[in-house]
Amino acid sequence: MTDTLARPEPRAAETEASTPATTRGALADRLLDTQAPQRPQSTPRIRIEVDGRVVEGFEGQTILEVCRDNGIEIPTLCYEPKLPGFGACRMCVVEVEGEEHPPISCSRSCEDGMKVQTQTEEVRRLRRTNLELIFSDHNAYCLPPCQNKCPSHIDIPGFLKANAEANWRESTRIFKRTIPFPSVLGRVCPAPCEEHCRRDEVDEAIAIRDSHRYAGDQVLRAMLDEHVDPPVPFEQQVSSGRRAAVIGSGPAGMAAAYYLLLAGHDVTVFERDPSPGGMLRYGIPQYRLPKVEVLEAEYESVTRLGARIVTNAGLGRDFTLDDLTNQGFDSVLIAIGCYDTNKLGIPGEDAAEVLDGLEYLRTATLGLPYPNHAGKRVVVIGGGFTSMDCSRTSIRQGASEVTLVYRRDMKDMPASDEVHEAIEEGVTAIFQAGPVRVITDDAGNVTGVEFIRMQLGEPDASGRRRPEPAPGTEFTIPCDRVLLAIGQGPELDWASQPGNEGVQATKNRRLKADAVTFSTGRPGVFGSGDVRIGAATVVEAIAEGRRAAYAVDAYLKGMDLDAIRTRQTLAEPQPEFLSIVPFTGEIKEPRYRLKPLPAEQRNRSYIEYELPYTREEAMAESTRCLQCTCEAIGFCDLRRWGIEYGTTLQTLEPDNHHGAGYRSITENRFTGVNHDYIRDDSHAFILREPSRCIDCGRCANVCAEIVGAACYDFMRIGFDTLVTTPLDMSLNDTPCVSCGRCAETCPTGALMPKPRVLEKYEVDESRCILCGICVDACPYDALRDSTEFELSHTGRSEPMIDLMALAAIDKETEVTYIRRERDWLERAQIEGRVYDPGRLLPVLPPTLAGIPAGARTNGNGHGHDGHGAVAALGPGQHE
Amino acid sequence: MLLSAPPSREAVAPARPRARDMVTILKTPAAWPRILLARADAKDPVDLDAAVAEGAFVALERAFRELGGAGTTAAVTASGLRGRGGAGYPTGDKWRTAATTEADRRYVVANGYGADPASHTDRTLMMRDPYAVIEGTAIAATAIGAREAFIAVRGEDTELIATLSTAIGNATDAGYVGFDVFGSGMELSMSVRPVQGAYMLGEETVLLKALEGKRGQPDQRPPHPAETGLFERPTVVNNVQTLAAVPWIIREGAEAFRATGSTRAPGTVLVQVRTPGKDGVAEVPLGTPLREVVKLGGRLPEGRSLQAVLIGGPSGGLLPPDALDTPYDFDGLRDAGAHLGSGSLVLVDDRTDLLELVGVLTLFCSNEACGKSIPCRIGTRRLAEIVARREAGLLRPADPQLATDLAHDIVASALCDHERLATLPLTSGMRYFASAFDPDSRPATAATGS
Repeated sequence: MTDTLARPEPRAAETEASTPATTRGALADRLLDTQAPQRPQSTPRIRIEVDGRVVEGFEGQTILEVCRDNGIEIPTLCYEPKLPGFGACRMCVVEVEGEEHPPISCSRSCEDGMKVQTQTEEVRRLRRTNLELIFSDHNAYCLPPCQNKCPSHIDIPGFLKANAEANWRESTRIFKRTIPFPSVLGRVCPAPCEEHCRRDEVDEAIAIRDSHRYAGDQVLRAMLDEHVDPPVPFEQQVSSGRRAAVIGSGPAGMAAAYYLLLAGHDVTVFERDPSPGGMLRYGIPQYRLPKVEVLEAEYESVTRLGARIVTNAGLGRDFTLDDLTNQGFDSVLIAIGCYDTNKLGIPGEDAAEVLDGLEYLRTATLGLPYPNHAGKRVVVIGGGFTSMDCSRTSIRQGASEVTLVYRRDMKDMPASDEVHEAIEEGVTAIFQAGPVRVITDDAGNVTGVEFIRMQLGEPDASGRRRPEPAPGTEFTIPCDRVLLAIGQGPELDWASQPGNEGVQATKNRRLKADAVTFSTGRPGVFGSGDVRIGAATVVEAIAEGRRAAYAVDAYLKGMDLDAIRTRQTLAEPQPEFLSIVPFTGEIKEPRYRLKPLPAEQRNRSYIEYELPYTREEAMAESTRCLQCTCEAIGFCDLRRWGIEYGTTLQTLEPDNHHGAGYRSITENRFTGVNHDYIRDDSHAFILREPSRCIDCGRCANVCAEIVGAACYDFMRIGFDTLVTTPLDMSLNDTPCVSCGRCAETCPTGALMPKPRVLEKYEVDESRCILCGICVDACPYDALRDSTEFELSHTGRSEPMIDLMALAAIDKETEVTYIRRERDWLERAQIEGRVYDPGRLLPVLPPTLAGIPAGARTNGNGHGHDGHGAVAALGPGQHE
Repeated sequence: MLLSAPPSREAVAPARPRARDMVTILKTPAAWPRILLARADAKDPVDLDAAVAEGAFVALERAFRELGGAGTTAAVTASGLRGRGGAGYPTGDKWRTAATTEADRRYVVANGYGADPASHTDRTLMMRDPYAVIEGTAIAATAIGAREAFIAVRGEDTELIATLSTAIGNATDAGYVGFDVFGSGMELSMSVRPVQGAYMLGEETVLLKALEGKRGQPDQRPPHPAETGLFERPTVVNNVQTLAAVPWIIREGAEAFRATGSTRAPGTVLVQVRTPGKDGVAEVPLGTPLREVVKLGGRLPEGRSLQAVLIGGPSGGLLPPDALDTPYDFDGLRDAGAHLGSGSLVLVDDRTDLLELVGVLTLFCSNEACGKSIPCRIGTRRLAEIVARREAGLLRPADPQLATDLAHDIVASALCDHERLATLPLTSGMRYFASAFDPDSRPATAATGS
């Protein structure tokens, strides 16, 4: 410690040097020229070297404080800036030159000239070990991977929770926040979410798709049978007066129309075909998606919001973009999908019996027999959903032989889930074979297709191994008809027609539109869905449509689309998943599966082949959800440092580039016994989730040192230590003052402000101590002091409460004493206690007693005459 | 108004400790000096007159009247006395720090908690010669200018509390401590502080927390208690053995003290030697070869050979028979991978499964952790789990390396000595008894290096 009393040197020195004391000697002179020793005006400054950079701080500051003041970040978990360093988390370790053990920077005072390293390999390793240790006992989750993997980011835990409570309407409402068609998606979605479900680590993934299918069906049934409007995710905005045109009534277009309608715009949908639905109607067979019961019913939820659908109106065929502008549309969204089937590029492809799969499906999906299909030997080429639909429909249409040929392995097949069902129904599937030529006879009739075997080469951009032909393995499949289902591109011929200027195609034959703002080169014209990204799944198309709707809405409201771009990019960062401990305690309960009709029944029929859940099954399946989501996401320090220090794992991410496949939770080196605590939501304001607690002690310190309530402390000992309330009691039973500082300081989601809807306060009158803090704090003056009493409004039914009277319930004060004494006579009488009036003495001064003085001198009151009160006292003097 | 008079000391305390509460004092070679246990054979340890006749409180008077604070500290510094609590910090330095740190009050805390459940060294000293501890504590208070001193002991040891209370009462009555030390009008209040707690209380910052009435959890050092200790005042926390040596040093001189023990660590310490059939406490000069200390324990049972020596309590180190030439002092043991610790020495014969022993010790240290710091609360538990996996034959391939890596990281980012030392049984065991820890039960593997 240096001397805190420092004399201001310069002036004193100057005085002595220029004017010797002997000449000026008088005391007054000395006093005039010098100053008394004073406290230094500021704490002395020190300089330390941090990571090779010299920074300045004040004496007495810790290393951490100096670093933070200078913008150098050191990770902490247990450090609370309002309090001295605690030293529990060991995250802020730094290296100080010349010291054996790295000190922790939150507790270590700076010394001048100290050399500190904050990011050496050693301290970073120590921090990572610490984090890994924390995660090995952190029985909690961050993000639900299902939600992230859904192209439209549905709140899956949210709707499953509503499902588990049999609240189908709320479940559907949550679903419709991101996808308007739960029943359609419940049938046709490939469910990428389920591949990433964490329940898979316990037993089997949740049947997410089948669950929203059930909820959506209940809402549709209520709409059709009982005329109950389906729920809307947000309240429909008042009309904006703007008109939006959507071209294409497929999933992308209708999803966009739905959200534009909710935003208050007037929407007209133009459809090229006689009925709306796009691929949903003309590309997906009836047995997978019933057209009337499901598709049209779902679309009704859009028309009920006010959408107008104009059919038989095709872009480029019946109208141009200029026409729409002239009709007064403020914006146009092009969502015409992909209908142009790719060519194989092999000899013989032009034969008459080589059909475009989509053309075939256009007829076949509606259950109508395609000409001359029955009895034919059919070869279907491709591995996507279209190829599957072509094969299975062909079986239903009586083709004598159906062979499906795909050039890659089965596991790399986009429609691999469905292939088993196709095989059951009688399809022959051949993998790893590519077509070489189509063989025709002299009349031009197809007699077969020659294939060559494919071997798997190096992985390509999609992570799948690239198929390469194996020479000398050619073989021929005899057949009469070939269906091509090898992918589609959009038809963009219209773009070059007059009246559609300003819209361009990309090199890959897609509509050119921005990925975030969806704007094309032509102002007010947007492109979204398959036409922009190429043939994709229904859920991807809907996600496109929804996001495009936000962009169109922003455009219609006159907002800057470039600003939207920034905002959307920021709003959807790619998350990382935290390493989590195994769910050892979870009871295994296998998935409830939808039961398909027997293959021999369904291969002749177009009715829906999967039998829906019962109500009980739907609830039970949704109850299996682990609800692996955390409210603190985005605020959690543990997650942040976990990501920086690589102790989080891309737990469920396939790591294609290194061939490691799925990384597992056991990558935490320390996985072992862990704690699983029970959530405490008994308190009105603060939610405690002890499984997320990392025992940093911040809440305990803040509560004890700053608030003074001391509700928490470290409890138990050793590995089982937990920062909690005494005996784990409810916060209600502690001196908690509901200030929320514990939730504020908590670095994870262990303590959180409780989400709640306040309707009315109740004042526990027996506990009020008249401190007046509520009166001081209330921002709306709902509680206030009055001249004599403090008044309190505690709800609209009983607006005022006399706190003084409340206090009298079980507290003795001067006022309550006086009141009680004043009224004792009446009360004694009411309670049937009889007193000898002769013994009554004037114990209170008349001003307080409330009884006329004369009456009292008589022993008991004239004032009470006529009420019988006096008579009841006994043989009084009146008689 | 007092409703009832406080019970008299005689009523609280049996005047004389009963024989069954006393641990045997082992016979040591005649050449070994007796500094701590000089008065241990007294018939009645709390008999003040007898103790004074044997030289008690001479040193205190000298320190008080002649040497003064600085002189006393200088004498202790000159003697080379080092803390007997295990770490071996120079006592004189600690006192000087406490005396020179600016403060309105200072405290002396005699650490007689004796955390190690298997060691009775401190208790033996306090039961046999309470006045040595009281005098040493008073000298320390004189040296640093403290007006208050506490002797912290286990709350459950009621007999010890009674013995010390009686002794302090007698010393107060005689004017050695209390309100009027040696008639000078100076105050030095001394009291016994029973603390309830756990193994962790042996750690000095934890003990201070307990004395403050808080949960026993360590604080980050530095600042050391000598700068900011009890109630944030400079506090000297010394083991009772350290303090008991001080009167001898003042009385006989620093030179005489330096003549005992080893050069690096003069003086003697109490050792509890425990063999399968026998145990007792002995006063051993520091620097004595381990072999001679082990010899005090007598013979092992017929047909058994010595497999290992556990030195320093539950968080001590395991040394093999061929390390018995190690000098028994702070630095010698630390270099060998053990530590003086609680002064406990357990002879492990060849019937013992060392792996199981290490498992028990590691789990004990883990379970006794206060739970404040992450490496200690979770890390030591994971160490115990690794040992348990090895015992159950479920060792994961990376485990041997993981154990040493984790042990290293625990030591490097430790908050207090408890977690640093909790790794010792495992690391010393792996170093010296590789075959017991090798997953394939082959001697010497790469993983056991560390």
